[in-house]
Amino acid sequence: MSSHVYPKEKEIFPGLQLEKVDDRIMTLNVGPQHPGSGHMRIILKVDGDYIVHCDPDPGYVHRGEEKMAEYRNYITNIPHLERPVIHDSCNILYPYCLGVEELLGLEVPERAKYLRVIAAELNRCVYTQYWLAIYGIFLGHSTMFMWPMGDRELVIDLLDKMTGARVTHAYFVPGGVRNDLPPNFEDVCLRQVNYFEKRLKEYADIFYDNPILISRTKDTGILSREDAIKLGTTGSVLRASGVDFDIRKKEPYDVYEELDFQTNVLKEGDSYARSKIPWLDMFESCRIIRDALKKMPKSGSVRVKLKPNPKGGDTEVYRRVESGRGSLGMHIISRGKPQPYRLKISVGSFRNLIAMPHLLTGEMLGNMPAVYWSLNYWPVEADR
Amino acid sequence: MGTASGIIKALNSGIKHIATKRFTFRYPEQKLKFVGDGYQYDPDSGVGIAGYKGRHILFHDKCTGCQLCAIACEDIAEAIAMVKVPEQWKHNKKAIMPQIDYGKCVFCGLCVDACPFYALYMTNDYELSSFTKEALIYTPAQLQVKPKVDQDVEIQIDEKGANHG
Repeated sequence: MSSHVYPKEKEIFPGLQLEKVDDRIMTLNVGPQHPGSGHMRIILKVDGDYIVHCDPDPGYVHRGEEKMAEYRNYITNIPHLERPVIHDSCNILYPYCLGVEELLGLEVPERAKYLRVIAAELNRCVYTQYWLAIYGIFLGHSTMFMWPMGDRELVIDLLDKMTGARVTHAYFVPGGVRNDLPPNFEDVCLRQVNYFEKRLKEYADIFYDNPILISRTKDTGILSREDAIKLGTTGSVLRASGVDFDIRKKEPYDVYEELDFQTNVLKEGDSYARSKIPWLDMFESCRIIRDALKKMPKSGSVRVKLKPNPKGGDTEVYRRVESGRGSLGMHIISRGKPQPYRLKISVGSFRNLIAMPHLLTGEMLGNMPAVYWSLNYWPVEADR
Repeated sequence: MGTASGIIKALNSGIKHIATKRFTFRYPEQKLKFVGDGYQYDPDSGVGIAGYKGRHILFHDKCTGCQLCAIACEDIAEAIAMVKVPEQWKHNKKAIMPQIDYGKCVFCGLCVDACPFYALYMTNDYELSSFTKEALIYTPAQLQVKPKVDQDVEIQIDEKGANHG
């Protein structure tokens, strides 16, 4: 009797089938309210302590950003487009601004390009620190929740001085940035970034070299190089599997080709490597910020004046940048109107989620948080 | 590295911080200092002036009631409505000025960028909580008031670590 499944129900809730399963197998919903899942649900089938099937179910925080963009002009799109990742709002606006500039034929001033790079790298640090704090607390390491959250304040303070808001800065606009730096910002920035880097080095002792963390994350959820490429993962997940791919290096935008930095690649492809890559990337971000402050033109315009309601031509553009979670692209189609005809956001989070069923099947249930959060996944961004 | 020595190293790394001054500060008594008097915009050069994006300030002697701020906000938060003001101004024949609903405002500052008459700026005031939704709607008379802010705490970094003084 219990093997009967109503067809309608099966169509609507594919994860909630009332099927008669073997007594050994239990279906377990992680989320959407559980804090360990974020704003999403992971439907797990467990055999004892082992996960035999995993079905991630995103979509709980879908906001229709892409549709909303079709009713707003190129400037009023800015505040709502940064909402999916409020901690990384500069990086999510970056491809949009690059695309619209190409569409409208704007030439960005040199100083604005450097300011954008500085803001984007600071934002990457803010996002990564937040992610690292969550990763720490879900592995039961509460000091690793407090430290990144506290040190994140150093970077937020800089962004606050620069853009006027702690998160959701609305700093990038097509044609440059909203405002120039406040006086004495360079000195404060250098001092705080240097101290931030010093603090990052301390994370090694308490977290990354900690034998308890290593025993929990080493050799769990191994993603091989071939699988990482086949599944289309991006960002830190891809680099942790031994693929040297960073859009800042491969398709440099703005002034990244003039700046001195390297990409970090690890070969292991396990949760430990995936959790280490964003931390190593933060050192590179500090390096980029210092280099950009040095090479930046000392004065000059930071914003091109735009006409009210600028119209794009009858074309389409696609631009992508390296965000905190990997490649983030925006495809803008223009039909000669002040509003975009269509805006497609391609996010790194969603691409990395595809790897999750592959990684969790066959893992112990206790390793689920270690594998899940190592994917650098941000549910709100994936749902858009 | 052995397991035991690794754990001792990790513990030691945390214990070192017992002796250092705390990084956080006591919020209602101490408040973080921001740069400048708030976000401002210069319509001549088309570039903003760095500052915190908090509550707005409206200069009644400059506002012409042109509604450009309300139009800018229309597609963003719909927080600005133009309302009648009792005073008559030579430059504001219609006697209308913006009224801002802080229950809707997202503090993006694009209304400030839209104002061509230096009439609308933002301030360092961010403590806007209230018991009712109606109290979040600021009339032109309320927006005119310069906020009293007592913010003086800054991040200080010395060889021992960072703190807020």
